[in-house]
Amino acid sequence: MTDLWQNAMDHAVALARKAGSLVRDAVQNDMKEKFPTHSFIGEESVAAGEPCVLTDNPTWIVDPVDGTTNFVHGYPFVAVSIGFAVDRKLEFGVVYSCIEDKMYTARKGKGAFCNGQILNVSDQKEISQSIIATEFGSNRDIEVVDKIFSSMRKILCLPIHGIRGVGTAATNMCLVASGCVEAYYEIGIHCWDIAAGAIIVTEAGGVLMDVDGGPLDLMSRRVVAANNKIIAERIVKEIDAFTPLRDDASTETED
Amino acid sequence: MATSESDKCWRECMDVAVEVACRAGKVVQEAVKHEKSVSTKSTPTDLVTEADQQVEELIISTLRDKFPSHRFIGEESSAAGEKCILTDNPSWIIDPIDGTCNFVHSFPMVAVSIGFAVKKELEFGVIYHCFDGTLYTARKGHGAFCNGVRIQVSKEKDVSKALILTEIGAKRDPATLNIFSGNIMKLLSAPTHGVRIIGSSTLALCLIATGAAEAYYQYGLHCWDIAAAAVIIREAGGIVIDTSGGPLDLMSRRVVAAGTHEMANYIVQQLQPISYERDDSDPDVQK
Repeated sequence: MTDLWQNAMDHAVALARKAGSLVRDAVQNDMKEKFPTHSFIGEESVAAGEPCVLTDNPTWIVDPVDGTTNFVHGYPFVAVSIGFAVDRKLEFGVVYSCIEDKMYTARKGKGAFCNGQILNVSDQKEISQSIIATEFGSNRDIEVVDKIFSSMRKILCLPIHGIRGVGTAATNMCLVASGCVEAYYEIGIHCWDIAAGAIIVTEAGGVLMDVDGGPLDLMSRRVVAANNKIIAERIVKEIDAFTPLRDDASTETED
Repeated sequence: MATSESDKCWRECMDVAVEVACRAGKVVQEAVKHEKSVSTKSTPTDLVTEADQQVEELIISTLRDKFPSHRFIGEESSAAGEKCILTDNPSWIIDPIDGTCNFVHSFPMVAVSIGFAVKKELEFGVIYHCFDGTLYTARKGHGAFCNGVRIQVSKEKDVSKALILTEIGAKRDPATLNIFSGNIMKLLSAPTHGVRIIGSSTLALCLIATGAAEAYYQYGLHCWDIAAAAVIIREAGGIVIDTSGGPLDLMSRRVVAAGTHEMANYIVQQLQPISYERDDSDPDVQK
């Protein structure tokens, strides 16, 4: 019986990879054909050794399957995340939460939408009435885990209404944009997890920042997305920050 | 052993439960779009709204009309001081809005939960997901279903491949939160695939029944959060037990549910307990 389920699991993993490649290929091949001069940053291309540096060039920032763990388990939150930047500024973002069939979109200056309905962040200013989204991440190093839990405990003690996490950064950011949670923060995500969600949040009226309170740095592996500055700054005070290897860090040692 | 007559009767009860759960769920769906009048119960994070009270009244009045000799245990009636004691009498165990905090925030995980017990044995459960209309049902001995399609728990035994769900509970003092986060840390570091919190214990338990996650544990939930989901998980092939590893104690405010014994036993061994006052403790007795 165990072998039967192991086979099913292996099949699911292969399927996830195939789905990921299909979307990556669909996006990249389709887009490369339509926009041959554009650049691409994506989870799969970075894994294949391509550089992850954001230039002024029109650039697609893609995660074909955000929430791979969820996908493998059949846990109903999996998203395709497609962000687009020009001159290092996000122009539009698309997040498709496939199992829920929710299409989140935002174009700079034109608002944010879910299945055609306009999105607005929550108007909550009291941290004690807030729900905060975050994730425990995939890093199991004891020092990292300690900091993640220390931040979570401090935030829970503020107090707040509760902590939530659906298991995908892109969807968590869309929940901020929808007003369902007041903020989302995480350390350890990648630029392709948050690029699309970032512009969806700001177009819904929200704010972005780094976990140290400075401006969001897309390649820093750190994000705070919130309904307003008051909530964002209140959370930032409690986050036990650490600095993962940047997405745009050189993979070769330089002298 | 149920006679064929009582079997027919419980089936009729279940049909009524399904109808009223769907109707109540649509009332909740509509209410979520409007301003909510919110108060607190045991702690500042234990929320209740007018909708909770109205929906529970809708469910109980419908059921009482059809089954006047039955007993009712509901979240809001219990808050109003009614005793929460399970007798041999046919008893309905109701959470009108599970995930009230989510409801207040329009976070899309809110459910109506209706459980039913006879001679203190859970007979059937009905859970309606108010945001997407998903209906989970199970009757003892007849399988578990999601929108009419048979569901089954995950048969994963290997903890390193587990996705685990839990909830925080109403207590938020630092000592409780230390134990709460310590429990998650231990399970995360086992290692496991991950831990998720969605804000509705009944819907989280349904995700165990469908096999979307391997295990659930919680301190602080109530009998009305467990009653329906316990039947659904068991009929989907899973197990539902006490956090000590013993049999489920519906009034104990704690539960472990999993697809396999191996998974459940592993979780039981890792947990440090958090105590909450039992659902059936006398409200007149001062602690």
